[in-house]
Amino acid sequence: MDLIGRKGLLQKIPLTVLRRCTQGIFLLLFLFLFLQTQSQGGDRLGYPVKIFLDFDPLIFISMLLSSHVIVTRLLLSLILIALTALLGRVFCGWICPLGTLHDMAGSFTTRQGRVVRESRLRLKYYILIVLLASSLVGGQLTGIMDPISLLIRSLALGIYPLFNYVIDATVHALYQTEVELFMGVSDFVHERLKGGVMAFEQPLFRQGLLVSVIFVGIVALNLVERRFWCRYLCPLGALLAVCSRYALLKRSISEGCTSCGTCDEICTAGKDWKREECLACLKCRDICPEGAITFGFSGGTDGTVNLRRRSVLASIAAGITSVPLLRIAPGSASGTFHPALIRPPGSLPEEEFLTRCIRCGECMKVCLTNGLQPTLLEAGLEGMWTPLLVPRVGFCEYRCTLCGQVCPTGAIRRLFVEEKTATKIGMAVIDPGRCLAYAHATPCIVCEEVCPTAPKAIWTETVSVRDRSGGEVILKQPHVDPAACVGCGICETMCPVAGKPAIYVISTGETRSPENRLLL
Amino acid sequence: MNRRDFLKKTALAGAGLALPGSLTFVECLRAAQWPDLAVVRGVSPGDITREAVGILGGMGRFVSRGDVVVVKPNIGWDRPPDMAANTNPEVVAAVVRMCLDAGARRVKVFDHTVNDPRRCYRQSGIGAAARRAGAEVSYINKRRFVPVKIDGITLKEWPLYRDILEADSIINVPVAKTHGTSRLTMGMKNLMGVMGGWRFRIHQRIDESLVDIAGAIRPSLTLIDAVRIIVSNGPQGGRPGDVKRLDTVIAGADQVAVDAYGATLFGLTGRDLGYVRLGHETGLGNMDLSRLAIRDIRL
Repeated sequence: MDLIGRKGLLQKIPLTVLRRCTQGIFLLLFLFLFLQTQSQGGDRLGYPVKIFLDFDPLIFISMLLSSHVIVTRLLLSLILIALTALLGRVFCGWICPLGTLHDMAGSFTTRQGRVVRESRLRLKYYILIVLLASSLVGGQLTGIMDPISLLIRSLALGIYPLFNYVIDATVHALYQTEVELFMGVSDFVHERLKGGVMAFEQPLFRQGLLVSVIFVGIVALNLVERRFWCRYLCPLGALLAVCSRYALLKRSISEGCTSCGTCDEICTAGKDWKREECLACLKCRDICPEGAITFGFSGGTDGTVNLRRRSVLASIAAGITSVPLLRIAPGSASGTFHPALIRPPGSLPEEEFLTRCIRCGECMKVCLTNGLQPTLLEAGLEGMWTPLLVPRVGFCEYRCTLCGQVCPTGAIRRLFVEEKTATKIGMAVIDPGRCLAYAHATPCIVCEEVCPTAPKAIWTETVSVRDRSGGEVILKQPHVDPAACVGCGICETMCPVAGKPAIYVISTGETRSPENRLLL
Repeated sequence: MNRRDFLKKTALAGAGLALPGSLTFVECLRAAQWPDLAVVRGVSPGDITREAVGILGGMGRFVSRGDVVVVKPNIGWDRPPDMAANTNPEVVAAVVRMCLDAGARRVKVFDHTVNDPRRCYRQSGIGAAARRAGAEVSYINKRRFVPVKIDGITLKEWPLYRDILEADSIINVPVAKTHGTSRLTMGMKNLMGVMGGWRFRIHQRIDESLVDIAGAIRPSLTLIDAVRIIVSNGPQGGRPGDVKRLDTVIAGADQVAVDAYGATLFGLTGRDLGYVRLGHETGLGNMDLSRLAIRDIRL
């Protein structure tokens, strides 16, 4: 029985249209949730912003392997596995927002691309094996290539700041014209879009250029060959391919087939339709001049992708050795502590953190002061693109708990406000060579004013100092109480000494690392 | 009357003198019929606010029909109302309501916060309360800071918020708290919330800078929220013991006098606050409470 054939139930609606609509809806949903990943001033976000990650089986499995935990929310991914086992890679063809972006990019070229080479199709499976093997021994590199994680990270660190900047600059230019009409438009855009489509404050991220270039590169590959990423690189695609091996939804070719080869040209799977490579795009069904192709639950052809045994073993070996290779450098996982590695509040101890953080960028996106930034080498090469706080960019807002709310794997635990305000992520230290009150006989103590703890972690001592001409100046000098300081960094952010501040936060004293301590 | 004329008249009326030329005899009499400061105590923040403004002659004295008014509360910190780090939302709402009832065309409420603005406006309750009362509540738009020539004792030029410069009437609604740098923060210190740039730099010469800013802004009315005050660990507090409930508001047209009275809530006098003393000495206002007509009532 042809379920989705020309004479079937849905004959009135061309299925490609249905697919495009579904893709569009999921992409819009994804972008909507992305935009909602920002504070509105309340204690909780109103939307399940990380739900795409919750459904991601690649993350579920790698979490299981590397940290030996089942993160409850990730059990949703079993639904996606079930769906794939039934219908094949419909996620790739109908749901995945990155896949939709690939299709959109691919539409810019009229070229269909080279005919797919079977040997190249195997690459994504090897990539998957490397990632899973490294997870097995405690690594967590999956998030770097997982499409959902990659998409969120790329948008958060690069593309969205770029988009925001361009609009902001345009609006600013309008405002500068001092022409009433343009200024009105500028104010209107500012009021309506800020905190919604536009960010509340221009997001600024280190490595934004690098992340953007990588992302644009990946999407631009569609101009070389459509769905390049999905065919050759995507590890989630590879995982779903394996799950779809015995899917019930099958493709059948009737006797009307004249072997014209039209379907081969547009098929993701290449010359011979392969069960695992089929993205259920249904283009072959629409394009067949004889109407010989149907999709249904009976009959059907199979095909498999054969992996070379040697390559599989090489992939496993590569995955397994990658982890120790990354860990023979001194770093927090090995017990030395980088002073600038100030982790978000609620972060697990470093070794476990690195097995859980998938570098998705959600925490960095949601951080309302823009303080959470991607590491470069502060956490070692292994920890690249995990989050750290850079107080000069943004402090950790004392009563905010958003980062723990959006972390999909629990690398940053969800904290209640009372827990969070008692959690130390570091401590402030004063540089008396730069501090106005110590070095320049000038009153200040802005740090004391903005310190949020009760009692304040910065206390003052009224002293008499001499200025250059020998005159007496009575002023207050700040001191940090390491027992009370939580390391939030607002003192560093607000310190009026521009450039390099007179008070700054180091990771020492963080609650999560009993060894990284100052006091007895 | 516009703001400029009003400032002249109230400043002179506050000094208790009639100078020839600037005010007519009748206008002096009219100004003199109201006290210089109103201090009202009572259980309801809204009621005591309304009563205080009423004692001073009603909001019509400070807001004319068709005016664009800026009500400037303290929304600086991410704290709920019971911590007293920000102005009491009921007090703000009452002020907004009175301005609208006096015929204001627009009432704007904003503050340049220290913590994240979204959290501050929401957690303080002021965003919702002011909006409900009919105000236009907005976040600071950095583009709207314009450099202003101040030519003060210390500050020569500083970026100030455009909306406050263009307002017909400014109502300053601070909350009374202790402060490490300025000793106390009330009306004059609250005006920091319209400053742009690296405003924390003014801590280096806080007293002179506050007098400069207060002189440049000159609110029509200052109303201190002392429903709850912070007596320790200011200006943010954080522990229940840091907050003292006084159920009081203090209002007046002379911002120096209002701050001088506010100091007494903490067992201090105006003279103990450098910026109040300096404001008095430079003629910005009068800190000598003995020379002022003060109406102090309990509801």
